[in-house]
Amino acid sequence: MKNRNRLIMGSALSLAAIAVAIDHTRHRLPDPISVTQEQAEMSEEDQSPCGLDTANSPCSMDDNDSDSSPCGL
Amino acid sequence: MEATTKRSKTDILAVFLALIAILAISLTLQNEFNLRQSLFFITGIGLGLTLMHAMFGFTGGWRMFIREQRSVGIRAQILLLIVLSVLFFPIIGDVFPALKSHAALGQVGISVLIGAFIFGIGMQLGGGCGSGTLFTVGQGQTDMLITISFFIVGATLGSYHLPWWLSLPNIGKVSLITTFGGWLPALVIQLVVLIGLYKLVSFLDKKRNSELQSFSTQPKADSFIEQLVHGPWPIWWGVIGLGIFAFITFIMAGYPWSITFAFGLWGVKIWNALGGDVANWAYWSAGYPAKALNQSVLADITSVMNFGIILGALLAAALAGKFAPAGKIKPKRLLTAIIGGLLLGYGARLAFGCNIGALVGGISSGSLHGWLWLIAAFTGGIVGVKIRVWLQLDKPYGAKS
Repeated sequence: MKNRNRLIMGSALSLAAIAVAIDHTRHRLPDPISVTQEQAEMSEEDQSPCGLDTANSPCSMDDNDSDSSPCGL
Repeated sequence: MEATTKRSKTDILAVFLALIAILAISLTLQNEFNLRQSLFFITGIGLGLTLMHAMFGFTGGWRMFIREQRSVGIRAQILLLIVLSVLFFPIIGDVFPALKSHAALGQVGISVLIGAFIFGIGMQLGGGCGSGTLFTVGQGQTDMLITISFFIVGATLGSYHLPWWLSLPNIGKVSLITTFGGWLPALVIQLVVLIGLYKLVSFLDKKRNSELQSFSTQPKADSFIEQLVHGPWPIWWGVIGLGIFAFITFIMAGYPWSITFAFGLWGVKIWNALGGDVANWAYWSAGYPAKALNQSVLADITSVMNFGIILGALLAAALAGKFAPAGKIKPKRLLTAIIGGLLLGYGARLAFGCNIGALVGGISSGSLHGWLWLIAAFTGGIVGVKIRVWLQLDKPYGAKS
């Protein structure tokens, strides 16, 4: 009788686990936000301490007043 | 009186499987959601372990008092309400502005009165309440699988009919903290009432049984650690354990511990999966219920905690060597499990929760509906105990068992 009850409980819990798994996979997680080419380039620059190609950078080589650059180029 | 007894042999296979399941679910929740979701599951494990080791049940405690005026179970419940009121009231009263937890307020009216009354009958017929059903399922009592299945059916039906019930006469949500002009006067009044209730049940017990049963009557194990791991726990350990885990839930979730919302959610999800249309069910078409319905069941805090309670109780039962007790379900028990389960589910939905969400959560967070719930459910419990005698599940009062 005890083994039969263990079997019933095991089956019920397994069935519940399968139901939860099915429910969880029916609700897909949101897709990652797509990153555009421009955003990708921007983020690369952001990672660099001295972005060299843009006037927005504090270390820009295009800047005439390069002495004022914090990078001292 | 304390006695030392030899405990049953630990069920190694069940312990191993329970630990694997706990680990797998914790990691899944952390990976798919966040650490917080995993912590809710672990809190549920703690609650299940405490409920099982301390055998902290509301149904049995009420039945013992109704039949024999034995008050040990009810006194432990009152003690839990005192502890939680002391912890919750200052937080709700904004004494600690960093903690933003709210009361479990439910509208006070006919729906609570009727819902709690039929829940009280269901407790006695089904053999468990909200928490009791979960932990006895975890313990492996096969008859409770039937009760919980129909608990889910009842909660689903209740959620379908709820808008009509809520349209019946009511005075709206009543917070005792607002009514009495602050958390401190409200807490003092609540403590006076709870202590008065404690003294009343103790008095009735002593009058009938001449001696009050102690909170620490469980057989003592060889060592503290052995008793902590393998049980059984004295009931006051249960009060402390439930107090700690209910408080953690209150702080982390921002509202008190609840159980039965998840049962309705599971039922509606199953109904939906079977092709049923729930689009026109008012309860599930707005607010949090709609959100919960449209996301994974693992995203719902109540569901995750309920899974934890079942597995925590399973682990505790396996450690104590009490998992899946032998026993055959008789036809009469089958009938009471079905009817009891339906009444539990339907009643809980109408009454804004079960013994945990409405009674413990409601009263300890200062909601008047919790007190109405207690009175109505206890009256239903008296009727339920009489029905049990009528069905010959129990002997008449005073007859020797």
